[in-house]
Amino acid sequence: MTTIQQRNVFERISKDNVYSKLVKIFGRDYVSDKDVDLYPYSQDMTENKPHMPDFVVIPQNNEQLIELVKFCNEFSIPIVPYATGNNVGGLTIPDYGGIIVDFGKKMNKILHIDDNMMYALLEPGVTFGQLKKHLEENYPQLRYSFPNAPPYSGVVGNVLLSGMTNLAAKIGSMADSINGLEVITADGNVARIGSCFYGKDKADDDSWWCRYPMPDLLGLFVNFQGMTGLVTKCAVQLWPKEPIEKPQLVVFFGLTDVAPFLREVGRADIVNDVAAFSVEVAKMEVGIPEPVRYPEEPPYTAVVPMSAKTENQMNAKLEILNNIIEKLNNEGTNIHLIDYREFAKLFNLKALNIFNLPSQILSLHEYSGLTWFGAYAPSHKFEELIEKTDELYRKHGVPPFNYLKIMKGGHYGIFRPIFRFKKFKDQDKIVKLLEEIADVCIDLGCIPYKTPSWITAKLREKINPGWLALFEKIKDCMDPNNIFNPGRWNT
Amino acid sequence: MVEIDDNLIGKDVLEMAFERCIKCSTCKYSYKDFEKSCPSGEKFLFESYWASGRIRIIRGVLNGDLEWTEDLIDPIFACTTCGACMDACQAPHADYIVEMIEALRELAVKNIGSAENQKFLVSRCEDSCNPYGEANSDNSELKEEYELPEKAEWVYFIGCTSNYRQKSLRDSTLRFLKKADIDFTLIDEHCCTSPMIRTGQLTIVDEYMKYNIDRIKKAGATKVITSCAGCYKTLTKDFERFGNNLDFEIYHSLELVKKLLDEKKIEFKSEYNKTVTYHDPCHLGRHMGIYELPREIYKQIPGLNLVEMKRNRNFAWCCGAGGGVKIGYPDWALEISKDRLEEAKETGATIITSTCPFCKTNLSDASAHYKFDFQVLDLMEILDQIEVLFG
Repeated sequence: MTTIQQRNVFERISKDNVYSKLVKIFGRDYVSDKDVDLYPYSQDMTENKPHMPDFVVIPQNNEQLIELVKFCNEFSIPIVPYATGNNVGGLTIPDYGGIIVDFGKKMNKILHIDDNMMYALLEPGVTFGQLKKHLEENYPQLRYSFPNAPPYSGVVGNVLLSGMTNLAAKIGSMADSINGLEVITADGNVARIGSCFYGKDKADDDSWWCRYPMPDLLGLFVNFQGMTGLVTKCAVQLWPKEPIEKPQLVVFFGLTDVAPFLREVGRADIVNDVAAFSVEVAKMEVGIPEPVRYPEEPPYTAVVPMSAKTENQMNAKLEILNNIIEKLNNEGTNIHLIDYREFAKLFNLKALNIFNLPSQILSLHEYSGLTWFGAYAPSHKFEELIEKTDELYRKHGVPPFNYLKIMKGGHYGIFRPIFRFKKFKDQDKIVKLLEEIADVCIDLGCIPYKTPSWITAKLREKINPGWLALFEKIKDCMDPNNIFNPGRWNT
Repeated sequence: MVEIDDNLIGKDVLEMAFERCIKCSTCKYSYKDFEKSCPSGEKFLFESYWASGRIRIIRGVLNGDLEWTEDLIDPIFACTTCGACMDACQAPHADYIVEMIEALRELAVKNIGSAENQKFLVSRCEDSCNPYGEANSDNSELKEEYELPEKAEWVYFIGCTSNYRQKSLRDSTLRFLKKADIDFTLIDEHCCTSPMIRTGQLTIVDEYMKYNIDRIKKAGATKVITSCAGCYKTLTKDFERFGNNLDFEIYHSLELVKKLLDEKKIEFKSEYNKTVTYHDPCHLGRHMGIYELPREIYKQIPGLNLVEMKRNRNFAWCCGAGGGVKIGYPDWALEISKDRLEEAKETGATIITSTCPFCKTNLSDASAHYKFDFQVLDLMEILDQIEVLFG
């Protein structure tokens, strides 16, 4: 793991003077320098090392943020954006202190829903739960793509970090469906990116409809983990809600049977998503507390949300799905398809949570810690990834918690070993396993997302020098004083 | 893991705080309804004012990351312990979140003291056995007025708020019990200790619990009825949690009313032609799981038009009085109630009803303060206004 270097934030201005300035910008009730208020922001659910911020502020508008950015840039004070802190990567832990900007409490408005061009314009603090409620109450014909994240997770953070969705098999990652951004850059300028770029002062609400075809500056902010500017608005695509829904459960009796299934189903264009889990995880989702796989039990299961415009269309999709399974079974796999609603009746209503996102995923919040090696993966390596990680799980005596997806019509996959743990009891053991799994997966070409800095340090050893030089140049250009979330990607 | 003092009542839940809660923040909204539900977090905003933040404070003070200073007072005590976080949280520790906060308060009281004015809850009890500082009533006058025996099957545990602040509720309950021919008496009560437990001030709790148990036993009662949601929760849950074995049953007054209705021993005869909305008291709802019982009773009152507020049952917004907030943060307590009154106004109701004298007090205070035009009445007061046929 990397060691966090200390940086003297207050070389050029006293902490008292910073506090006074922040109070002037945000108002006394929206600034704190008290340890008790800072402490919850110093840590997250992961293994990443805690570090105290010096201040937390709660912004309400862009004017405040512009003044903050200019001030911090002048005095090289770190700014760490925070929406809800659920990123599972230590990404809002202020490794070098500075100011936490908590968007989650006041800059959390749904600014516009465009029914015609199907997008939502959001402030950074909007949560999935909030968006879901708003759509259901006001635009029941539209839906968003929700992740297997807690309902209080931030939409914009997840979008900018290429999070998963339950439409992933169709649309890919959340970042693939951004229409536009508003960002405050280090010099305090406000830039609007995407089709909203027309207009000197403000953009019309109905102008956030597309990302292209101008030079794609949006990439300067996607997956940069808040290192290049403060995103203050984000437009995300919505989709028509299809009336017929028939969730399916697939069980795989061979260890790697899930791999060809994901590839075949991905390219068949019949499912919204496939979320495949180790059976230990799946059992917990239906309320079986003991994460154990018994002999003869299928090692993997997949939940498959399917929707259609008509019953005939649904039946056609199910016919294709059955055909895929029959073909694979003829080739030697042992895969079974089950109507999920019938299956759920055997357990409890919580078993349906997985199809009613955003929901609390039961198995993931059992203890005090949660971490993962969440990675985009070459789907032709799924078999190897499953086999090699299975060996590592067994070596460390930890139940397998793998999670796989196929993305965007089968073009790539997701491989995500997840670990829940007791922070004060077995963190060291889990981190050891996580590190070994990270090494194996990176060797097989996986690229982690929402990546903590101790894993980006590993990546840097393998990334081509040209990429690294370009990345450093961009970071230096966008943030010459390294004020935006310093430490991420080892900056 | 750090060593936790064995003498702390909340030791077990403090330990739990270390190995549960990933701070997913599901506790911040009503689950699946995604409505604002935490008065403390919504007011003070910083993470330290939400349930998951308080769990981090527990870890911080116990492992030495956080020093005990007065800065900790507000994050620890500015919370009504309404339990909305417990209802929203889906993790295995959900049911223990309020106990964790109370245990944190127990620790805080030992290290930095309680929030402003909350100490009077104890000192007034020490002077006069009730947290209002009123001269202690041994209830002998009431016993005489209502011709109550020394010993009886039931004890009506009035509770301090009903006895010293909401006497109309007390008297309505007494009249109901008499008319229903319930064999009951009163005891010379000490405070049930709810305010002390909620604020982490436990010095007199054990003594008061034992005193009340002794008095109930001496009255020969096998059943205790109370018209206070706070007393009800304390008698039902906390007495045992603090190591007392009760050999009497605890009833909330509404449970008795429902029982009598079901047994056809009472019947509501006259009409109550008013639009009424029911406020779920936290101590009866989220803490005890009683949501439908009161509604079933109101619906049987002829003419009564029961309408629901937007946030109801387990999603109900707290009245703002609990957890020591009414005495510790009186202005904020009214602010919380204002939100509730605005919700009630949306329903078109003219009467807000509840089954807790503390909710009644705070909702009434806020209604007057913010110039709403609500009448706030307890179920027992409404029953006192209609003709009830006692069989």
